Amino acid sequence: MTTDRTGTSDDRIAAIASHEISRRNMLRFGALGVGGAGVLAACGTSNGGSSKSAKTGGASSSTTKPKSGGSVIIARPQDSVDFDKTMVFSNASIWVYVQIFEGLTIGSKDGKTVEPWLATSWTQSSDKLTWTFKLRPNVKFSDGTAMTSADVKFSLDEASTTKGGWEFINAAIEKITAPDPMTVVIKTKYQWAPLLADLACPSNGIIPNKYGGKTKKAFYSAPIGTGPFVWDTWDKGNKLTLKKSKNYWRAGMPYLDSVTWQTVPDDNTRNVMIQGNTAQINETPPFSTVDQLKGVKGATVTLFPSTRTDYILMNEKRAPYDDVHVRRAISYAIDREALVKTVLFGNGTSANSLFMPTVPYYDKATAGQSFDMTKAKAEIAKSRVPKGFSTTYLAMSGDSTDSAIAQVLQSSLKELGITMKISKSDPSAVHDLQSALNYDISHSYWTMDINDPDELVQFAVLPAGGGHSFDTNYTNSKAQSLASQAEKTFDQAQRQNLYSQLQAQLADDAFLPALYYQPLPYAMRSAVQGFFVKPTGLYDMAAVSLA
Amino acid sequence: MKYVLFILRRLVTLIPVLFGISLLVFFLLQMVPGDPAVTLLGAHVTDAGVAALHKQLGLDHPLWRQYVTFVGRLFHGNLGDSYQYKSSVSSLVLHNLVPTIWLIVTGAVLAVLISVPLAVWSASRRNGIADNTIRTIPLIGLGMPAFWLGIMLVLLLSLKAGAFPASGFGTGIGNHIKSIILPGLTVALALVPILIRSLRASMIHVLQSDYITTARAKGISGARVVFRHALPNAAISSVTVLGVNIAYLIGSTLVVEKVFALNGIGYLMITAIFNRDFPIVQGITLVFAVMVVIVNLLTDMTHAALDPRVRLA
Repeated sequence: MTTDRTGTSDDRIAAIASHEISRRNMLRFGALGVGGAGVLAACGTSNGGSSKSAKTGGASSSTTKPKSGGSVIIARPQDSVDFDKTMVFSNASIWVYVQIFEGLTIGSKDGKTVEPWLATSWTQSSDKLTWTFKLRPNVKFSDGTAMTSADVKFSLDEASTTKGGWEFINAAIEKITAPDPMTVVIKTKYQWAPLLADLACPSNGIIPNKYGGKTKKAFYSAPIGTGPFVWDTWDKGNKLTLKKSKNYWRAGMPYLDSVTWQTVPDDNTRNVMIQGNTAQINETPPFSTVDQLKGVKGATVTLFPSTRTDYILMNEKRAPYDDVHVRRAISYAIDREALVKTVLFGNGTSANSLFMPTVPYYDKATAGQSFDMTKAKAEIAKSRVPKGFSTTYLAMSGDSTDSAIAQVLQSSLKELGITMKISKSDPSAVHDLQSALNYDISHSYWTMDINDPDELVQFAVLPAGGGHSFDTNYTNSKAQSLASQAEKTFDQAQRQNLYSQLQAQLADDAFLPALYYQPLPYAMRSAVQGFFVKPTGLYDMAAVSLA
Repeated sequence: MKYVLFILRRLVTLIPVLFGISLLVFFLLQMVPGDPAVTLLGAHVTDAGVAALHKQLGLDHPLWRQYVTFVGRLFHGNLGDSYQYKSSVSSLVLHNLVPTIWLIVTGAVLAVLISVPLAVWSASRRNGIADNTIRTIPLIGLGMPAFWLGIMLVLLLSLKAGAFPASGFGTGIGNHIKSIILPGLTVALALVPILIRSLRASMIHVLQSDYITTARAKGISGARVVFRHALPNAAISSVTVLGVNIAYLIGSTLVVEKVFALNGIGYLMITAIFNRDFPIVQGITLVFAVMVVIVNLLTDMTHAALDPRVRLA
């Protein structure tokens, strides 16, 4: 899927390098960082269309051995907030702490598979309920103590039992035992195919047993892990620095002496910093500035495929959205190409499935609904409201994406006789209204944290996922049964078949009309080598060097 | 003695102000829609998760109890813990206050350094070319929004000329000073036109008064008349103008902070509001209130130093 230089060359381990996870509440960040900046942006260029000079997905190429030394500054719109891996949902935090904590497994660069990491191999019992993991020898925490199975058990138990955070990822785990220092046995409550992907979730990163003797609060304020970088300083609201670990297990890595994440809320200022080389990497600049960044001398823009899908929410608790014909009509009426142009400035593709192409078991053949006014009119004619109706779109204030979607939708729906009002609320108020099912129609998005579609499917389809079907109240027993079968199917082809059926079913129900898939844009100085962002948004700073 | 009493009296007025502000901020924030727990949990939010987090953050208590806890801690100088950072609000606020104070002070100093000579020159050459130029050109500055002016200064003086860092606050006093010049200038250029106008007007008024005529009649040199006799008297009203504007600046340096990546208190406040991080918002509002009172106090003190009538009153 992605062209990967290291994957075909020398260092096999370096190739797998990078961790997992991204954040769905980037939406929130978008609202305040990007949206807010949009208002203030002075020289923000905005010519839509071509992305020809932007590379897609590949890291900068190098055939020579990476040089050691040097420091990199990553300028980003938001600061990290907290490093308690069991609780924190902010991407800005997760992308940093994966440089410190590592998991037993790791997601592949293309997002499709899971690879060995701190565990080198595993076996499964014949009833498929018990998994035995062999740990990688000679792995040390950055303080020099060796990592053992006791640390692994403690870390996974901590992630499973801390309530209100990421414990849902480990819901299938019944018990973890550590029969010897290099072996960990995980017993699941039921047959559970996504387990390996779950273990790669950043919340399952390995930390020292009993926080290395510290209190939980003290530990997470200066965390220790087996990763390539160690905690240095955090000037909250300003910058956070990690420095090179001397005890890292991948020989010769990391190359950099330190990495600093600097919070620079203004889009133009981050751009200027790349221009003046006071920062080397500009994290997720808004699409409106991508063209501007491409013009910067000595810098490149790379669009890494992400797992983000944006979609329309329709509250099926309210009429007429309980009528599938209404939902289909609306889905057909959405001009997805126009949205890619206006919202992403051409840097994306329209969506056919609720799954993203970077997610395992994505089915390209899912028909979905594409823009077709004739079909839209035919569907609305078949519905209970053939002459249309009045409705209100719940939008986030200050979010330019949301307003663009609302406006495109508003004009399309007029042709179906649907009068759509736009009501703007503050981002967190929008979350509240959505989760209280107190809205008609709205927009949201999802990004994956693991390389398995179950995280999304569980939340979207299964009532036990606790997500009220993405706050739409959608229920379909066929979809539910497909989703739960897929969770316990280990055979890849069978699982693909189930997920293909599910994607087709969800598209046919126009449950969450998917809009588009967007990449993760990064601008960086040409001197930065080996920087690669996985679809889940994680990147491995150990593989990065300066030319 | 009277001077000390005057200051003490003003400081005592801080207490009801802070109490009123704490009450207002606390209850206004509760009226704002949006739940901090929902914001923290993002898209994975479930009812159980929200309940657990409410308990952890103490949001499950009735409102009056939350307020009592908040005020109780306040008496111990404790502003509570941030919801998102999980660390002490006081240290966060104090830390982020540093660049903001640097910015305001530099802005005010530069504004005075630029305006006073120009205003004096302008007033002493009333209606001449210099006067008209000085009155017109700074008005352009007033019309330029801070974010645009800031970016222009960065492009010209830092990217092209390389004289100043483009962004950030640097480390060490030397770098702080270097980093703060451009943002300070951006703030100053917005203040300059107002200051020039008010100072010029009062200078003209003072220069026409009898005691100036007397001074001139005594044969005192022109410069001495202007700087020694006219300026201190003319400055009184401008000090008030500057004070009011600085007090206003305290809450509004955000834009300049953003353009120059200073990440002062304005930035902290905005992110806290978006994330519904109530303890930070409350803490910063209180700090703002204290700062506004202090700036007003300093203004009055300068006023008092310049005009004995204020002290005696």
